[in-house]
Amino acid sequence: MIVRISGGHVVDPLSGRNETGDVWIEDGKIVAPPQGQSADAEYDARNCLVMAGAIDIHSHIAGANVATARLMLPEAHAAYMARPAQTQLAAAGWTAEETGRRYARMGFTTVVEPAVSPHLALHAHLELSDIPIIDKAVLAVLGNDDYLLSALRKGEGATAVADYVALTLQATRALGVKCINAGGAMAFKENVRAFSLDDVVPQYGLTSRQIMEALQDAAVKLKLAHPLHLHMNNLGLPGNVETAIATIDAARGLPLHLAHLQFYAYGKEGGRAFSSAAAQLAEKVNASPHVTVDIGQVMFSDTVTISLDVLRQFTGLKTARPRKGFIYDGDINSAGVVPYSYKRSDFFNAVQWACGLELFLLIDDPWRVFFTTDHPNGAPFTVYPEIFALLTSRDRRAEWLASLPKGVAETTTLGSIRREYTFEELAIMTRAAPAKLLGMRDRGSLAAGATADVAVYGLHKDRAKMFAAARYLFKDGALVVRNGEIVHAPYGRTFRATPGFDRAIERRLDRYYTSLYGLKRDLFSVPDFALPRPQAFGEVPCLA
Amino acid sequence: MPRKAKSSARKSAAAPKAAAPIDIDAACKLAATLLSAARLPVIAGMGADVAGARAAIRLARATHGVYDHLASAEIMAELEPLRRARRFATTPDEARVRADCLLFVGAGLVQRWPEIGARLAVGAPPALQRGRARKIVWLGGDRADVKGLGAEVDALAAARRDMGPLIGMIRARAMGRPIKAEKSALRRIDSLAETFKAAHFGVAISSAAALDPLALEQLAGLVEDLNATTRFSSLLLGPRANGAGVTQAGAWVAGFPPRTGFCSGEAEHDPWRFDARRLIESGEADAALWIDAYGDEPPPWTRKVPLVTLTCGDFGGGLVHVRAGRPGVDHDCVEMAIETGVLTPRAASAPSAAPRVDAIIERIMAHLPGSCA
Repeated sequence: MIVRISGGHVVDPLSGRNETGDVWIEDGKIVAPPQGQSADAEYDARNCLVMAGAIDIHSHIAGANVATARLMLPEAHAAYMARPAQTQLAAAGWTAEETGRRYARMGFTTVVEPAVSPHLALHAHLELSDIPIIDKAVLAVLGNDDYLLSALRKGEGATAVADYVALTLQATRALGVKCINAGGAMAFKENVRAFSLDDVVPQYGLTSRQIMEALQDAAVKLKLAHPLHLHMNNLGLPGNVETAIATIDAARGLPLHLAHLQFYAYGKEGGRAFSSAAAQLAEKVNASPHVTVDIGQVMFSDTVTISLDVLRQFTGLKTARPRKGFIYDGDINSAGVVPYSYKRSDFFNAVQWACGLELFLLIDDPWRVFFTTDHPNGAPFTVYPEIFALLTSRDRRAEWLASLPKGVAETTTLGSIRREYTFEELAIMTRAAPAKLLGMRDRGSLAAGATADVAVYGLHKDRAKMFAAARYLFKDGALVVRNGEIVHAPYGRTFRATPGFDRAIERRLDRYYTSLYGLKRDLFSVPDFALPRPQAFGEVPCLA
Repeated sequence: MPRKAKSSARKSAAAPKAAAPIDIDAACKLAATLLSAARLPVIAGMGADVAGARAAIRLARATHGVYDHLASAEIMAELEPLRRARRFATTPDEARVRADCLLFVGAGLVQRWPEIGARLAVGAPPALQRGRARKIVWLGGDRADVKGLGAEVDALAAARRDMGPLIGMIRARAMGRPIKAEKSALRRIDSLAETFKAAHFGVAISSAAALDPLALEQLAGLVEDLNATTRFSSLLLGPRANGAGVTQAGAWVAGFPPRTGFCSGEAEHDPWRFDARRLIESGEADAALWIDAYGDEPPPWTRKVPLVTLTCGDFGGGLVHVRAGRPGVDHDCVEMAIETGVLTPRAASAPSAAPRVDAIIERIMAHLPGSCA
């Protein structure tokens, strides 16, 4: 079947298109305009923006901690006993099915769940299997596990670590490896309450820096397309910009992705000892071409924070809104789930909001800055259209800034920034660059041969309205959204990386599980029989 | 409309004889007729693996019915501290390798998990706590369980009804607050509070079956308070019949744990309103599908309603019965495994052709009016 999307404003940075024209689809792929053949179906895209399907590289959409958040906050759903008719989290859907549908509605076609603890991988994949329309991937989290830390303590070499990482990716069916406050969760089990880059994990004698370097080296050695995805130390603390800058230096020029950078852009200036240091941090990122970042934009809403940074979450219990929380000391990683409400009237929250936008606007290269709210930690993903509107309009930002508490404007540079994102820059940040960062060479583009994930938005001067509901969305060439309504909900695939490794690690790890836990390792595996759609996996190749 | 629907459900329910064996497809067709004709059907029991739970919730949604689990009272009690306050949790692995203090709380824990002592290696020092010994305390345990644990236990006997106050008193003393108690009792309680505060990484082990809901909340509070100065967490053994696994599936399929209804088309959760037993006894619900693939537990209500049963035994109290395979025995499954504390794949130990709950429900759904299947 040949499909023609005709007469739209096509923006595709990878093929260099930024023009009025057509996009052709055949058998799930983008094709060149066929000679002498007409379309079986034609979609009118006049007065529309046509881009590849959007990709979210960091959104907590599945797994045990997401489940805990749902169970903790029944009142946040649309329907629970005496309840508000509409809540922020209710707008995010909050079931696997609604997650897929609401992402699709906004023109997203690929989403990465970035925090899967290896022993909870099956849970995450079961849930991802039930998310319709979009393609998915997970990142496996290491760096707070006894096996790795013991190996490093014993001085085992880079090859041994790489084999372990590769086996973990295989066992968890993950696309990449992530590290969350390296060593911090392990230190918290030893009753340590603050943990920075050069602090030492008790019993192991290793610093956070050493653990991070080992995992970063493993990702390089395995030629993973996606570099180590790092959640740094000291998230959310005043003055933590120093940690972020030190961590960028600690990367030694090797590829490194820094997650939700906004939460590390804080200084200690002013009467409240809390200020934006985003300009300083953006300058550092601009000068560090080996580093990519996503933002973790804060928006004013009731939400819930879901993080494997248990140390941060434990501290966060004190400021939970409402006052509940869950702290989990897990086998390989720990976690915390803590509700929070970002308020426009709160000085600290307002500074956080401004920090995120400053980073978006002051980091020059749209190929290295990625669009996230760290869903749901900064805000539910359903607020994305409003953020697109803020990025593309300095007037809109000025209106928001004027509504914030006294003193906020003075602590940030946001009011002075004139930059407005162009459609091309948005397409790079949300399509082309994420595909490259994840190694998903088949998408993020409208060039011939690409997977036919195509989003069409009716042009509207209110960008929030425009990006809230796609006019059309095609997934693998099939029409799934029309005028913001789901018309078809097939199930997508989950992508993983499969680097090679020395199989000796399997026997070694089997012995480790038997002797330490008294269990067989395969109890924590993700076998085909456990999944409702075991065939729905795709592979991301390693770098050449 | 409701009356008419009700009478038609009754009428079709009266057609077959309870004991008459029919083939599975005819049984599924009849089940679909009963459930679709009902004004408010309940999908209850839900003793099923994750695949069975997903299917059961979808059936509840398709029939604008309700889903509830046979151990929902325990599920709700476990969720309560999470919903109202704070909860600290850990895994059996961490209890085994890291806990230098194991605090067992309540009776019936060994009955729930006979391998608990071996799995937690209670007789050995914790492998990841170099040089630290392991202290074991049991509050309100069965005497035989305490004796049979295979380790030295500091036991304090207490009746179930006294557990809440006892934990509360220990909690108060751990936080340095006064309590009213006799001297010897105060000494004992103070000594326990000191033991817990001195732990490097303690784990309290209990279950919603072993404690009343308020005692369970009190225990969550004690664990939280201890974290002011040291590390302590808790391990709940979870309700029977995969209650914890069904709860997890509920969270992602419907957004809610059991006791959720789709009467309006959207999922609504209300632990009182959608209690299957209450719905049937009150006459609000007028047909039921009862699932217990882990056993052959009968439904808890006494009122007669058109009933379809799906158990791994020969339960015969309903109009239609389908014998289901037992998860992890007759067929591969995913369930919340007590020994891991996470959703765990379980290969069949004695594979058979007995049908899976999800497969049976899919066949029922294929016969629902308007189904495309």
